[in-house]
Order: sequence, then structure tokens, then C-alpha cells
Amino acid sequence: MTAVQQANVLGGRALREALRTPESLAPTLFIPVFFLIVNFGQAGKIFPSSSTSFLHGQTYAAFQLPISLLLAASFGSAALYLVEDIEGGYFDKLRAAPVSRSALVIGRLHAEAVKSLFITTVLVVLALPFGVSVASGPVGFLLLLILTSLWAVVFSGFMQLIALKTRSAAATNSGGLIFFPLLFLTPNFVPRDMLTRPMEIAATLNPVTYVMEALRSLILQDLTWTPVARGFGVVAVLGVLMVTLNLRLIRDYD
Amino acid sequence: MTTAEWELTQGRGPVPGKRLAVQAERLVKQYRGRAGTVDAVRGVDLRVGAGEVFGFLGPNGAGKSTTVRMLTTLMSITSGTARVGGIDVTADPDAARRRIGVALQEAGLDPRQTGRELLVLQARLFGMSTAPAKNRAQELLELVELVDAGDRRIKGYSGGMKRRLDLASALVHEPEVLFLDEPTTGLDPASRLTVWEELRRINARGTTIFLTTQYLEEADQLCDRLAVIDGGLIVREGTPEQLKTELRQRRGLDAQPTLDQVFLDATGRTRERIAGEVQEVSA
Repeated sequence: MTAVQQANVLGGRALREALRTPESLAPTLFIPVFFLIVNFGQAGKIFPSSSTSFLHGQTYAAFQLPISLLLAASFGSAALYLVEDIEGGYFDKLRAAPVSRSALVIGRLHAEAVKSLFITTVLVVLALPFGVSVASGPVGFLLLLILTSLWAVVFSGFMQLIALKTRSAAATNSGGLIFFPLLFLTPNFVPRDMLTRPMEIAATLNPVTYVMEALRSLILQDLTWTPVARGFGVVAVLGVLMVTLNLRLIRDYD
Repeated sequence: MTTAEWELTQGRGPVPGKRLAVQAERLVKQYRGRAGTVDAVRGVDLRVGAGEVFGFLGPNGAGKSTTVRMLTTLMSITSGTARVGGIDVTADPDAARRRIGVALQEAGLDPRQTGRELLVLQARLFGMSTAPAKNRAQELLELVELVDAGDRRIKGYSGGMKRRLDLASALVHEPEVLFLDEPTTGLDPASRLTVWEELRRINARGTTIFLTTQYLEEADQLCDRLAVIDGGLIVREGTPEQLKTELRQRRGLDAQPTLDQVFLDATGRTRERIAGEVQEVSA
């Protein structure tokens, strides 16, 4: 069995695990929808679609949808289930099998990508009544799904690093909170050029900004390759970094 | 004199000429932390013949689990060598993993899967395709008498059922050597007897069993040979009868001592009855 097949088998187990704990999926959907409704409700009148150029004729909900998508993609449960496996001894059972060490970490990331495809689709459908459409068409929607799923892999990879290093559920849970400053140091309410200078610098340095701008571009505009390529570039670099660090940790895991 | 030579002269080793299932030479494990270096295992030599049930005894913190984790590729070796089924566990860990089955102290199971799913997954990870994996899972559920519970989620299993399922999952690929770290800890007497029966059946099929336990009666009942580890070093080795006879002769006892007495003697501890309770104290 190749490492890819092993990762698929382990990914299948992780998906089964997620389906059997729907209570862990519920907040992943509820909180991003809550953010979408509240942010649209609070600022929708300030930014009417008729007179707000950066909305490209859509409602402010379309501008906010990428935040909800990124939030949902960052709520992956891979790392917490990994800690559960470590604490319960099942991880040692897997490590004692002739399984590629890369499959042990990539299996769960694979499952997170699949889960994210499903959750992103549901969120886009839920956003339709708020006047949101994907302006870049079916190809753009596909790119939006892929980009969000890749972000889920990046963030879950980061969380798995904490899980493998600390082997503690509490530390892993706390590590997830880092996403909130990352999310708010972005042009999350207005485009980057409308931010104050310090905020604009922070957003420019923040990699999440480029993923958000790529998603926004796919939702609000016809296919515009520059921001999309930047978004994919960021997840590619961070994805390679996270997988590499995960592999290093699992190989040295005692 | 090497350990092998000593074993031969004393008759304490595996049957001469028998193929070795487990062999460790000068095995050392050091943990390095902020507080300094801790020597968990300080040069362990072990030789276990194929088909033996080998008991590995020792007080808490003696180095039993650390040794098992090194032999099963779960922990790096600071120095020394370990071979399982003739394979060097450091040089070719995957080949070693194909030859061993492992059931550690805590039954390492995924509570959200059913017993059958867990066994199928384990079989798939050992390279079986789906249909043979399902057949093997059925065989193992029959072996450990869990067919009726096979399609229930593991979180609903009793402690004894979990132990038996853990054993089954360690046997999925028909390993040459089965490592069991305290397989009956926390089980009620009836479940313990059931596990013993399983182990006898597994051993009768030719599987070597390397067992750590804190229950000396268990070691006496199950093991062909024993080693006692204390402070990271092997302090006694031989068959249960050899160890008892050696203590009787050395102490000039009238009756054959129990394995408990051998253990307490080997680890430098004595029993004192204080206020009606049996307590262990350092000698």
C-alpha cells in the first residue's frame, strides 16, 4: 500500500469520525453564519450596493462572505482529534503499524480539505438569500472551493503542529485562538486602501489578507487572475511549510 | 562474559539453538530535559526465543514500558541495538513493524469506530485489500468472542471487551512477536482469566509473547521465562522455577518461595506488616 493510499484510508476514518460527531460540525457552520448576519446587519446600510464601488453591485454580505468562509475553514477539528488519539493511545497503535509517517499527518489534513469543500458549499448557499452571488461563475466557484479547502489544510496543519508538540488538548485549543488576531488584522470591513496606515501595513504583512482578497475577488468580480494567484501562492507556500514541519515533528516523535 | 554466554552456562536463556524472536544488547534510553539527563534504561540485554512467553517484570518506573516502546519502534534508542524477528528496529523500523503486534498499557482504540471497523482499518494499514481485511476482521472477532459486539461503537465496550479487541487488533497481520504492556491491568478477575486464555491460544499458534505485568501470579501462570528489571537494569532472569529455587537455596528456605518473594528480593524491597496492612518499603 502506498503512502497516498494509506493517507486515503486514514482520511476516510477521520471523515467517519466527523460524521459521527455532528455536534462538532455545528459550530463550524453556526459561527460563520452568525458573523455574516451580524456584520451585514451592522454595516449593510453604511455600504449600500448602489453607491459603494468596492461591492461591484452586490450587497455588503458578499464582501463579508470570505471572512465567514475563512472562519469556517479555520475551525477544523483534525488537531483536537489527533490529541484525543495521542491521549487515548490509538496514535501509538497507528505508529506501531508499517504506515508511512507522512500518511499519519496527511490523512487528517486530507479529511479537513474534504470537510471544507462541503462546509464552503453550504455557506455559499446560505449566503444566497443575502443577495450574494459568485460573480466569477462556475470556474470561480470551483477556485473558491479549492482555495478555501487549501486554507483549511494550512490552518489544520498549524494546529496539528501544536498538537504533536504539546500533546495537550488545552494547548491545542488555545493555539486556535491565534486565528482571531490574524482575521482582524486584515481588510475585513473595508478594502485595504481604505484602512488607516498602521492597519494597512499590518494587513499587508498578514498572509490571511491575500487569501481573503482572492476569495473576495472571486465573489465580487469576473475572474481576475492577479489576486487569485496571490491567494493560491500564499496557501501553497504556507501549505508546504506546514506539511514539512508536520513531517519533521512526526519523524522525531518519541 | 557476554549475556548469551552467561545464559548458556546458567541455563537461564532461551533453549540453545532456538531462533531468537527478540534480542537486545546494551539497550540504553536517556531522556534529556531542563533538569538534566534521566537514565530510564541503563544497558538492558535480552534474548527471547521464538515461541516463548516471556515475562518482563519490574516496579513502577523501572524501565519496563520504555524498553517495550524501544523494541516496538515507538521510541528512539539512545544506544545499543534491538532486533525483533531478526530485524534491527532502528535500521528498518517498517520491516520490524510488520513482524510485531503491540497492545500497550491503555487499550489504544478509537471510541467512535465499531470493533469491526477498527480491525478492518488496521488490516488495511498492514496492506490488505478491502475484502481480505473484512474476512480477517471477522476471524479475529470470532477469536476474541466479540462477534455480537463487532458492529457496536467501541465507546460502549466494557474494559474487558476493549482489552480483547486491542489484542485482536495487534494480531491482525499474524505477527511473529506480540508485545503486551500490562494487558490485564484494571480488569476484573473474570476478564483477566479470559485474557489469559486468549494469550495461551495465541501462543499455541506459535506467536512469541513478550509480556510486562505487575501481577506476579499472572507471570507465574503464563510465562516460560522471566526477567526482572529495576532501575533500568536487568536484575534477575530465568524460568519461574529457576528463580524460586535460586532464592530458596541462597536464603536457605525450607519451602519453595513465591514469585512475589523473588520479585521483592530482586528489587531490594521487603514487606512489612504495619497496622494490619501490607506495605512495601525499601530495604
